[in-house]
Amino acid sequence: MRGIGVIKGIIVGIVLFFFLFPVYWLVTTAFKRSEDWFSWPPSFLFSPTLGNFLGLEGGFFGSTTTAIATITPYLRNSVVVALLVACLSTVIAALSSYAISRFKIGGMGFVSWIISIRMLPPIASALPLYIIFSRLHLINTWWALILSHLVFTTPFSTWILLTFFNEVPRELDEASFVDGANTWQTFLWVVLPLSAPGLAAVATLAFIQSWGEFLMALVLTTGKEAQTLPIYLGRFITGWRIAWGPLAAAGIVTMLPVILFSLLMQRYLIRGLTFGAVKG
Amino acid sequence: MILPLLLVFLGLTIYPFVYMIYMSFHRYNLASWEKPEFIGFGNYREIWRDRTARSSVDFTVLLLVTAVPLEIILGIGIAFLLRDFFGERVFRSLLLTPMMVPAVVAGIAWKMLYNFEFGPVNYFFSLLGIAKVSWLGTQLFSRLGVVLIDVWQWTPFVFLILYAGLQSIPRDVVEAALVDGASGFSALRYIELPLLRPLVWVVLIIRLIDVLKIFDIVYMVTFGGPGSATHSYSFYIYKVGVSFGWDVGYASALSMLLLVAVTVLTNILIRTVRLKETLEL
Amino acid sequence: MRKIMLPIVFLSILVFAVQVGYAAQLTVWSSPDNADAIYELAQNFMQKYPEVTIEVTPLSWEVLYPRILQDLTSGVGSFDVTTWDLMTAGAIAPGMLDLEVFASEHPDLVDPSFDDQDFIPTARYVYGYWKDKRIGYPFYGAAMFFFYRKDLFGDQGLKEKFKAKYGRDLTLPQNWQEAKEVAEFFTRKLNPDSPTEYGMALMFPRTHTLFYMFLNFFGPYRRSKEGVSKFGPVDLDWGDYFTAEGKPAFNSEEGVKALQDMMDLMKYAPDPLGSDYGETLEAFSKGMVAMIPQWTACLASWKESPDLQPFEEKVGVAVMPGGAPVSGGWGVGINAASQHKEWAFRFIQYATSKEGDKIQWLKYRIGPTRQSVIEDAEVQSDSPWLAEVYLQSLQGASHRPRIPEEPKLEDVLVGTLSEVLLGQRPNSIETLNEVAQEWEKALRK
Repeated sequence: MRGIGVIKGIIVGIVLFFFLFPVYWLVTTAFKRSEDWFSWPPSFLFSPTLGNFLGLEGGFFGSTTTAIATITPYLRNSVVVALLVACLSTVIAALSSYAISRFKIGGMGFVSWIISIRMLPPIASALPLYIIFSRLHLINTWWALILSHLVFTTPFSTWILLTFFNEVPRELDEASFVDGANTWQTFLWVVLPLSAPGLAAVATLAFIQSWGEFLMALVLTTGKEAQTLPIYLGRFITGWRIAWGPLAAAGIVTMLPVILFSLLMQRYLIRGLTFGAVKG
Repeated sequence: MILPLLLVFLGLTIYPFVYMIYMSFHRYNLASWEKPEFIGFGNYREIWRDRTARSSVDFTVLLLVTAVPLEIILGIGIAFLLRDFFGERVFRSLLLTPMMVPAVVAGIAWKMLYNFEFGPVNYFFSLLGIAKVSWLGTQLFSRLGVVLIDVWQWTPFVFLILYAGLQSIPRDVVEAALVDGASGFSALRYIELPLLRPLVWVVLIIRLIDVLKIFDIVYMVTFGGPGSATHSYSFYIYKVGVSFGWDVGYASALSMLLLVAVTVLTNILIRTVRLKETLEL
Repeated sequence: MRKIMLPIVFLSILVFAVQVGYAAQLTVWSSPDNADAIYELAQNFMQKYPEVTIEVTPLSWEVLYPRILQDLTSGVGSFDVTTWDLMTAGAIAPGMLDLEVFASEHPDLVDPSFDDQDFIPTARYVYGYWKDKRIGYPFYGAAMFFFYRKDLFGDQGLKEKFKAKYGRDLTLPQNWQEAKEVAEFFTRKLNPDSPTEYGMALMFPRTHTLFYMFLNFFGPYRRSKEGVSKFGPVDLDWGDYFTAEGKPAFNSEEGVKALQDMMDLMKYAPDPLGSDYGETLEAFSKGMVAMIPQWTACLASWKESPDLQPFEEKVGVAVMPGGAPVSGGWGVGINAASQHKEWAFRFIQYATSKEGDKIQWLKYRIGPTRQSVIEDAEVQSDSPWLAEVYLQSLQGASHRPRIPEEPKLEDVLVGTLSEVLLGQRPNSIETLNEVAQEWEKALRK
């Protein structure tokens, strides 16, 4: 049995190495000087620098493509957009899946429609959405991004929450009605609390999706007022070099909040996803 | 109660959808500065003649039949591997990292790893005595490279769901089987795997749909090359629809085909798993 | 959960509410290549005119052109000023402000020391005009250079070995045939005495890069006496890919030969099909290769490389073998839908002024577009080779099409070229004919 344990340990080690090495490499590159970004053999030991973050090195070029000192507004936009998308899509999905679950509004046809929206290729809707938002004067605002991200996040949330609400026994609703509560009160104080892990899970997934979204952010924003981090990254790929250090540094900033957020929610995420999926 | 959802979706999905259908029958290209011109099925006919479109279908199908099964097999494997392993909670958290890394960032990391002259992947190969591999310059390896990235990013998701599914299988069933003289393997084969099957179906649906939409990784790492080896269908739509001067008509026709394909595929799958019953509708 | 979410929602609404706009804010879009230079020029401009704020937004090359086009066609006016790549001129022209008309309507805004005639004539046209419309001022002038390791080409021992092997002196290759020999000599796999791993760093990826790299090889054939008599003189809008009558010229014996030259050279290059800017620049900067065709701005980053010191002794600049390097570069122009045309006009005049042009070159290695800057004493002492090599490169340069259909044409050809280089399709006139048919179809539309 001991031998099996050792083999298992080795396999676990290999698996972890495969899944974590790319992240490790990205993180270390962010702290390397330009001569260490690439070398043969690759530099595992190096003297770290904060230059890629603060722009202390390479004084001959400006600050726009040499360090991530200018990242703050983009980080702010990403945080605001992703948080609002997470909240709003959870609220909308909760309301609608409750309605579907309890009152059978729309039925199976409606559910399939919701799922098929998730499949709509984002490319196809980019230009029409641009037209809508420019008429509403929403180009280069958070709302353009929030609304367009909701289209992609809400269907999946609805689908998962639906299985959750179906799990909550109807008897509880009825008991609550008997106590004199109306539909809203029942929903808010009886059904929602029981589905908390599901709500947290869909909020987290919506956050992850919105955070990494690239195409809508590209098409619907024009400057630092609303552009999000995935767009910011492009500036380090220039005609005279790819600035791997700052690129990796920006990568860390792009990655860290979403990982922290997800780790915080992890307990709910796992319970939520499986609870929903086991039944779904 | 359902009103907010309907409002958002009516505005933001019906209009683009109708627009897409309408445009797919028109010649409309922003770079030409001309008004849309009706051409019937011209765009659709064009697709059959389009070499790049065909090879992008090839590659997308290749992704579907390699990456997704790999992810599911690995996901199941790792789920069983980590079960009852000491420190499973920590490992589980660590393993989830890739699915949280935004695709563009993952692309940056892998582009560095795949670097021909200086990349760590080729370095590890050289330690094993394998010559440097051109990950971005040969058909075989660039395709393999994209598959690997997708496996890297999404196996954790598959693992997460299957792992928790495994936890929810009542232990006494398995133990009873073992007491009755079943071997550990046959308990796994005849009791645990069948219980996981519905979960596997769900994961399969989600992954298939997402693989059909794969775009960011290709965009960041290979840009579809070399040749048309790693053009995924969605990446090709992006290039037609955006990069070539917004050929909106043709991109819409390509998107329509994708939409039809996805809808058919998922409907088959949904029927197979009897989603209707499980959703109690 | 609700307890956490609610304050967050309020907070974000608050942040949203306190975002304040400026009265005269110019939004400048730029490719990352130009971003640092235009950022510094913007800082200088704001010091002169404190009432203006200029916001420079770098957008990566792949997305800048589609973004510009999308904004111009919809008339939203999301940007005031943008840098535009020369080959997108035809597509964006209808939405750009005609600077000549604007200048004649606002004579008070015209800088008397601007000196429009100072621009190098080719630069003035390709980075400034589409047909008769002045859609920009020249910003980044460029034709690809041929960089080489000066120390290796001057090394006595290597010279002798080369002569012994090839029966001629080791000199800078004047054409691609010579380049093949020199590249072979510097490839360690084929010549164990080579000081470098590879002869030449080449980038033949499946991106727009391949579209212009091909011209470095096709250009010499197209520009030769035989080429000109066969295809006619080159039109600056249609470029070297076309005949004088606007028919594709690359689907010919010459096109096949050019492609063959590329394939021959590939064995002396590190991973040519998997390399783009980043990889080839890196290879040269690590001292792994002896020669590399590249744009101008990489000089700035190589100068910092520890493997290329002392820089002046190790890196030399020459005209591309064959003498017809592909031209590149950027103009800077104004959105016709801009709300701040007056300020935008002042800014682009400053950015392309003699002062601006000189700063760009000296600090960022962004090629000058003004004759006076090339002749400037400080510039000459900084880069003595510039006047000769740069002007000769520009004069002989081969050009990409600048017509509106360019992006579409580009991708069709690049796809096929890439497949040929990969060995998936034969290098033949028939293969290229297929592309030419696609081109004619795209052009009929």
